[in-house]
Amino acid sequence: MTPREWASRLWATFRRTRTDRDLEEELRAHLELAVDEERRRGNAEGSAARTAGLRVGAVAQAMDAQRDQRGLRWLEDLSRDVGFACRTLRKAPGFTVVAMLTLALGIGANSAMFGVINAVLLRPLPFPSPARLAAVASIDLRATAGASGSASWPDFFDWRSTARTFEHLSAYRETGFTLVDGGRAFHVPGAVVTSDLLSTLGVKPALGRAFRADEERAGADVALISDPIWRSQFAAAPDIVGRAVTLNSRRFTIVGVMPPAFHFPVSVPAAQVWITNAEDARVDNPADSPMTAERGAHFIKVIGRLSATASVASAQAELEVIAAALARAHPDESGNRGVRVASELDRLVGDTRQPLFVLLAAVGCVLLIACVNLANLLLARGAGRGREMALRRALGASGRRIVGQLLTESLVLAALGTGCGLALAYGSIALLVRLAPATVRGLDQVTIDGVVVAFTAVIGGVSALIFGLIPAFQTARTDPAISAAATGRATQGRGQRRLRGALVVAETAIGVVLLVGAGLLLRSFDRLLHTAPGFEPEHLVTATFRLPDSRYPYQKQIAFYDDVLSDLRALPGVEEAAATAPLPLSGSRYSISFQQLGAQRPQSERLSADFGMVSPGYFRTLHVPLLRGRDFSEADSDAAPRVVIVNDRFARQYFGDADPIGQRIKPGLSTTETETPWREIVGVVGDVRHRSLSEESGPAYFVPYAQGLISPLYLVVRTDNTTGVVEDVRRTLARRDPELALYNVKTMEEYVATSVATPRFQTLLLALFAAFGLTLTAIGLYGVMAYGVAQRRREFGIRLALGARPGEVLGLVIRGALALTATGLIVGVVASALATRMLASTLYGVDSLDPATFAGVAAMLIAVALVASYVPARRATRVDPIAALRSE
Amino acid sequence: MSNRAAARTDILQGTLDIMVLQTLNTLGPVHGYAIAARLEQVSNGAIHLNMGTLYPGLMRLEQRGLVRGKWGVTENNRKARFYAITAAGRRQLAAEKADWERTASIMHALLNEPQ
Repeated sequence: MTPREWASRLWATFRRTRTDRDLEEELRAHLELAVDEERRRGNAEGSAARTAGLRVGAVAQAMDAQRDQRGLRWLEDLSRDVGFACRTLRKAPGFTVVAMLTLALGIGANSAMFGVINAVLLRPLPFPSPARLAAVASIDLRATAGASGSASWPDFFDWRSTARTFEHLSAYRETGFTLVDGGRAFHVPGAVVTSDLLSTLGVKPALGRAFRADEERAGADVALISDPIWRSQFAAAPDIVGRAVTLNSRRFTIVGVMPPAFHFPVSVPAAQVWITNAEDARVDNPADSPMTAERGAHFIKVIGRLSATASVASAQAELEVIAAALARAHPDESGNRGVRVASELDRLVGDTRQPLFVLLAAVGCVLLIACVNLANLLLARGAGRGREMALRRALGASGRRIVGQLLTESLVLAALGTGCGLALAYGSIALLVRLAPATVRGLDQVTIDGVVVAFTAVIGGVSALIFGLIPAFQTARTDPAISAAATGRATQGRGQRRLRGALVVAETAIGVVLLVGAGLLLRSFDRLLHTAPGFEPEHLVTATFRLPDSRYPYQKQIAFYDDVLSDLRALPGVEEAAATAPLPLSGSRYSISFQQLGAQRPQSERLSADFGMVSPGYFRTLHVPLLRGRDFSEADSDAAPRVVIVNDRFARQYFGDADPIGQRIKPGLSTTETETPWREIVGVVGDVRHRSLSEESGPAYFVPYAQGLISPLYLVVRTDNTTGVVEDVRRTLARRDPELALYNVKTMEEYVATSVATPRFQTLLLALFAAFGLTLTAIGLYGVMAYGVAQRRREFGIRLALGARPGEVLGLVIRGALALTATGLIVGVVASALATRMLASTLYGVDSLDPATFAGVAAMLIAVALVASYVPARRATRVDPIAALRSE
Repeated sequence: MSNRAAARTDILQGTLDIMVLQTLNTLGPVHGYAIAARLEQVSNGAIHLNMGTLYPGLMRLEQRGLVRGKWGVTENNRKARFYAITAAGRRQLAAEKADWERTASIMHALLNEPQ
């Protein structure tokens, strides 16, 4: 077919360019000319007509051929079917509305879930060639998974200078700055980055320039600012490049402004100011060693752009070799350290992948149940259309056309359901985003875009096939001979009853899988919430502030914290006040390697543990038990001998049953000393779940901040008045120094809640989906039972007439329902046993084959089956035997 | 329509096109019956078109822009549709004619190979 012919035929489908009457006239003219010729040849009238007719063919058939040529047959059939389907659906509004809503719920939920997955997992990072961005993590080869992967500056510098598989390799760490504006000090999130970060990301500043390589040396106080800061703090001044900004009481020169949409590091809140690692190369005291020289201090993240010929695997191989060489060269700090290279996107969202896909699978199950319900509904309706089908077949419609028309009805229904579903998804996205853990990347940008709409259309079509195919074939098959004689209610036969029963078993099984999954997650979450964190998070307020190095040299910082803490303790309503870094469950971890005195381990085996700086009384403030020895006191000052407190896990892991008190360790931590000192263990405290509630505490050691301050501290205040105390703390701080900004003010309970945000999200949604699934299954079972009872009225009438007690009839129906449910349960339990293995890694304290959960689900399903079948069963007992026998 | 029947119709349609175009080219604007009569005459009764073949074929040619149809009146005052070949139709006819002649001469040469 040429395109021109196609276009004419398409046009003719919608606009009758040559009407049937025209066609008929032309054909009749031809026929009459033929008759005329026969007459000319000498045939008599009647015989002329007949001979002519034989010669030229019948008008009716020619008309058919003409019509087929004029338009597009399949398109005309389709539009006619759609029109008929719409009329049929309009005539049964109850059924149509129920079906549409059921579908809308199932499809809408899937659409919303896919929208989330699209925004979080599928959307590439907003940088050029984002697939070539890879993250390099520095890991302790002896540790199990879960290590943070932060690297140290010297390691990074060595990688950068030797790695060939990376075009660019950069490092960064998130931090914050105190900006003073018109007497008011406020906190701005930011980052310390290497000079080549923008080259790695492939982004150029909107104004000015990027950092230069020589600006990584100490003393280069340059900064890049974000577009919002440029507008809010500098009124979008065009001469911004070269102007100064005061960060942490030091002057930085602005060299450029980033474009408005630039967002790196990808976290919330977004960084607004970027300075170079000259910051970490700085020291206040010339005798100190800068952080950029501490190979044992792991606190920076590394991102790189793979070169054109490299892959994640080849980069991993090369860096492993480099890391091994470094381990040999520096056994003290870098022994046993390896690397792990992964794509940057993977690092960002890798651990949300599994929960999101589990949720998508769950919501897919809900849709399946909805489709099965709809299939049953259509089967019931189809049985009542036997007469219509018989008529169609008698008039010559082929089986394929009938099935096609019935499928079109399903498609129209699915289209309606998809439309409503999309609207539902649109509305529920806002709700989903609010419930979801705030730190997941991309969640603030979930939209219903083209991809999501396409996905929705596809599942709408697939659903139409799932719920429409079997009923279409069944309905089309209804035997005309029997149906034409009957009153319109075709005899179903045992086959159809079995089919409907099988569908109920299927949806029950799927429902079981959903319920078991939800049940396991609920129990797991409950266990998680009841896990003892090792301290008492209630009544604790935390906050922090930055002391600018320019006005606070090292000793002054220690003195400042001392003073502020004693001020806080004097406040009314404050029971205890302490300071620490990092804060438990805040997502921050410091890890510093250490040496052990004594011959238990060879010197080449460097050990690493979590590290924290605390004030005297910190453990008391958090209600962490002191198991052995003593807490720090004011006497443990900078002039005093170096001490350290370890947690129970540390003591057991590195000292076994021996008493660690009095033993010494040498953390790779030095501040004012010329070389790292040995520190004596003076106390053992209880384990605190620092990383997350579900992860057991690792070995940890603590130093008094007076003997080692390497980062700003968090204030921790125990008080009954968690809301009111904040203002008092702010005032106390301002009284000491009005240029300090208090920020990250949160209660400890908020940190706990955030740490369980992901399991809570997953559990809540799965429970919701399971509830949907159960409701739909119950409705399906009720429908099948009700229909079955209606069909068997005559049978019940006879039984009752023959003397059966109502109780027996009731039992009969209910037993039928229980048989279906039990079959579904068995299938479902087997399926669950396989499916819950997917959940095994997210479960906490609960086995994936937990018998209590399975038993509970079985009991719930049986109860639901009893309730759903009770009403139809009652109706069966109320059948009037005489009326039933008469109605046939 | 089964595949074989469709294939046969395709072949027939292909030759039908060229026959109709040639007839219109020779006769000028005529109605459908005249085309059928002429073809029957020229082929000595071998080509015998019925309405169900001829008219869909004519409609197809019209949809492709190779002929143009117009309502008119026959010699015995009947309303009929007259078809005329278009410029595009003439070009198509010339091309197909060349194809046929080339095929025919190849076949002729093949089937009459000297021993």
